[in-house]
Amino acid sequence: MPEPAIQLIDVNKFYGNYQALNAVNLEIAQGERLVVCGPSGSGKSTMIRCMNRLEEHDSGRILIEGIELNDNLQALDEVRREVGMVFQDFNLFPHMSVLTNCALPLMRVRKVKQQDAEAAAMVQLGRMKIASQAGKYPDELSGGQQQRVAIARALCMQPRIMLFDEPTSALDPEMVGEILDCMIELADEGMTMVCVTHEMGFARRAADRVAFMAEGEIVEVATPDRFFDDPSHEKTKAFLAQILER
Amino acid sequence: MVETVLAPPIQEAGIAQWLKRHLFANWLDSIITIVFGTLALWALFKVFGWGVLGAVWSLEDRELCRSAEGACWAVIEARGRLILFGLYPFEQHWRSTLACGTIVATIVLSCLPWFWGLKRLPLLWLTGFGLFVLLMYGGVFGLPVVTTEQWGGLALTVFIFASVVVIGMPLSVILALARRSRMPIVSKLAGATIDIVRSLPLLTILFAAAVVVPFVVPEWAQGDKLGRVILAFAVFFACYQAEIIRAGLQSIPPGQEEAAAALGMKYYDRVFDILLPQAFRNTLPSTINQFVITFKETSIVTIIGFFEVMASGNAAVGTGNWTTQYVEVYVFVGAIYFFFVFGLSRYGSYLEKRVRLRIA
Repeated sequence: MPEPAIQLIDVNKFYGNYQALNAVNLEIAQGERLVVCGPSGSGKSTMIRCMNRLEEHDSGRILIEGIELNDNLQALDEVRREVGMVFQDFNLFPHMSVLTNCALPLMRVRKVKQQDAEAAAMVQLGRMKIASQAGKYPDELSGGQQQRVAIARALCMQPRIMLFDEPTSALDPEMVGEILDCMIELADEGMTMVCVTHEMGFARRAADRVAFMAEGEIVEVATPDRFFDDPSHEKTKAFLAQILER
Repeated sequence: MVETVLAPPIQEAGIAQWLKRHLFANWLDSIITIVFGTLALWALFKVFGWGVLGAVWSLEDRELCRSAEGACWAVIEARGRLILFGLYPFEQHWRSTLACGTIVATIVLSCLPWFWGLKRLPLLWLTGFGLFVLLMYGGVFGLPVVTTEQWGGLALTVFIFASVVVIGMPLSVILALARRSRMPIVSKLAGATIDIVRSLPLLTILFAAAVVVPFVVPEWAQGDKLGRVILAFAVFFACYQAEIIRAGLQSIPPGQEEAAAALGMKYYDRVFDILLPQAFRNTLPSTINQFVITFKETSIVTIIGFFEVMASGNAAVGTGNWTTQYVEVYVFVGAIYFFFVFGLSRYGSYLEKRVRLRIA
């Protein structure tokens, strides 16, 4: 059996006395798409941010492509090269053009020459259908366009895993669709994806499994069909009732 | 419903309308306009009468100075070289002029975006400062040696300013980054350094560097007095500038560094490509402010016996027959400061506009 893309074993995380993650166990296979949902404060973002060590877990083990995340900085560099991340607030670099936003990390991290990096950036920008905006600066773009650039920027590094931390939550409703389309396209290409989102339509369409979190614990993990039609846990039912009511 | 179409309001044009709207809108406005207008005109007339109409311009008319109503600009002709060159040997003044031009050119070139690179900028500075020292100090190509004690006037002022900024800026970046370090020893040490230096007056620091260091430090490590003073001044500058940069770093949303880290960028790439450019951009006005303050504070080195332009101005009226013409000399020196400081602030607003237009 091939090794899982992501493995969380008994992971705990505290902020002071507050327990953000409580004995989280999770295994994500190569090429699998996992959607994580749950009420705010349930630890979804903390968990996904632990997967590339933007947050450090306090106990337990996290393995990405078999590499353990700990104080070993070399291992961390290796993991971050393989794991792309997309944030709620896009986090594009405001002092650089769209093209430089995508090309510079390639030049710095993979030591690619400027010309080649820009060519590679244009490919990914084209894939996100935003190549025509390459010369603009981030704040000249709409939220949806910025988020597509952010996805392109992450894809430039040729990651094997993509993490999405509420990628549509900061967007105006009419722009959510274009981002979800991009993500569905990625999913169809077989990228390993972990996505924190409340877009249940996306979960049904693209996810292999859906995980529900509450109070720092993973309450339930199931296929979309079972998750939506026949949730086994009371908390899941309550959450789904609330979310689908809207 | 019937729509009522109103004609657009008639735009009142003409000087009379403008005056009425902006200066004489009501009786209070009118009084203020008349009072301050009169005061301004009177002051302008006085200054013009003193500085131009009643002024004595030529050294040949110098006898007139005693009786003239206005300024005696002849003093500048007589003492100008002392003001501009200080104690620098008379026959060698051309060297000081060239050196001063070199340093000013270096400053101007440093301001051009084309030179902003980790190779170009140091190379430019090395050339500029090297040429300056070569010209001023001499000792090669048959140029007689002029020791730093004899350096003076405008060349010295500009040299001290430029050196303090060139040494102080990198130092301030190091201090700012150290203060934000996750290692407590490093951040505490940087914090203590900044707080201690900032709590001391510049005068004390320069005095210690010039006078106290020779008693404490072995002779081989003392270096030149001017060098010590510049270094101490640069540390002082760096501690203030470090806090400005730190404020700039703190104003950047944490998501910026997280995004860079998530892309795999290492600490120094994150600092130099993502954080510092934004920090400088955010703190441009305060940085230019710090430069202006530093330029004017160079006059403090007079206290330890360096004749920069202000001290030279004092010397120009302090001796001989020109003691009554101190106002003219101060106006002249003031004009020199104004020239540089105004240039700096214009450059600052150019940079701000450039940042806003995002050619940067």
